[in-house]
Amino acid sequence: MAIVYKNFSKNLVNAGPLILLYYISISEIDSQFSNLFEILSFNLQIIIIYYWMLKSPSILGNGHIFLAGIINDVVMGFPLGLSSMSYLAVSFVASYIRNVTVNISLFTDWFTFILAIFFSNIILMTLIYNFTSLKLEYSDIFYNSFFTFLFYPAFWGFFNFYKKIMIVGQDD
Amino acid sequence: MSTSRDDFGIALRSALLKKGARQKFSLFFLIIFATIIFFLDFYKLKPINITRAVISDGIYKTSNIATAPIKAFSSIKNNAIELFITFKENKVLRDELEDLKRKEFQVEYLKNQNENLRKILEADSKILGESTLAKVLLDKKSPYLKSIIINRGSRAGVSKGMPVLDGNYLVGRVVEVNYLSSRVLLLNDLNSRIPITFGKNSIQAILTGKGGNNPQLEYLPEFFTPEGNSTVYTSGKDGVLNAGLPVGKTIFEKEKVFVKMFSDPNQLSFVTVQLSDASEENF
Repeated sequence: MAIVYKNFSKNLVNAGPLILLYYISISEIDSQFSNLFEILSFNLQIIIIYYWMLKSPSILGNGHIFLAGIINDVVMGFPLGLSSMSYLAVSFVASYIRNVTVNISLFTDWFTFILAIFFSNIILMTLIYNFTSLKLEYSDIFYNSFFTFLFYPAFWGFFNFYKKIMIVGQDD
Repeated sequence: MSTSRDDFGIALRSALLKKGARQKFSLFFLIIFATIIFFLDFYKLKPINITRAVISDGIYKTSNIATAPIKAFSSIKNNAIELFITFKENKVLRDELEDLKRKEFQVEYLKNQNENLRKILEADSKILGESTLAKVLLDKKSPYLKSIIINRGSRAGVSKGMPVLDGNYLVGRVVEVNYLSSRVLLLNDLNSRIPITFGKNSIQAILTGKGGNNPQLEYLPEFFTPEGNSTVYTSGKDGVLNAGLPVGKTIFEKEKVFVKMFSDPNQLSFVTVQLSDASEENF
């Protein structure tokens, strides 16, 4: 019984980032804080995907990223597959950086994150402007991307701490 | 030079095609799959529309359940604040009540006010007509899109284009209908355009969402002289929305005419869908 409980809690801790990704996609939790500061909004999903695909790809998995994107599309009212492609672009950049980089530090992570945001937004904007009748403000997308980039180190620190808990869980 | 190009190719191939113990699908396969889904949705094939409606209903319900703890927490917090405020107010009100008792003319004033409010309520109920009350399931505050999900769909007689009101004030219109739920595009969304009329001369204009809280009036007459604080109503020129639904009051900022909506689009919890005979062809 104790072993079953131990395995369950270990699996739960390891599935934390995945649960968070799904929960943010499906729930009403907003990463928009216009009541605090008019232009303050950021994309937590992109941060989660980039960090975990870079550090530990087995935690999320591309299939789950795809599914989280589909859920996000339904909740946000975007055409199906749009967010999935955007998230998979982030995952692709993270996988590529993981393959070509030996020493990973916050600094390298943070600056390569610009590439991920860039490709993600390029896909999002290209598809929206060419294939849908939705109208978006460039400035909103820019502010969102800027704050996503700006907040990355904070989440990097938090996720690094969480990763240590996961490693301790695995060693037990 | 060629070695570095080889390395680039290997890293790229590895990122796109690599599968692991827990990576059942390669990135390349999923990107292709997402592209196919996107284009199937783009061409709005009937089977895809039905599948989307079923998925949407499921996800909206799940989302509603998933957000329940947050809503409950928010409700407890609000109740606690309200209780604290009520406690303070109670003391003040008790003093005021004593004063009011001494002032007979105040009672008369309240009587008159009550009569007037009753008249307004009767007039408003005539405007509403046949309608259905709906609960706001999701109000995801996107930095891009301003829309809400309500718990009434085609089963309740809701169809595309129907006006949605908060109390007696227009807040948006239905843009997506599923069997049990619908999406309402709010008036302040960038994609929202409705014909309106206002002022003594019944000036016609288009109310355009700008993403902020106050939508803007566009296509005003050439020699338009701004009138302060005019009430804006729907004109019904589009053949979709009924004429005479109140929207808000005009305000002027930086030589532009904005409309301060009667109903705050960020504070919607229950709305009324006016079951007019808006047809999809009109919409």
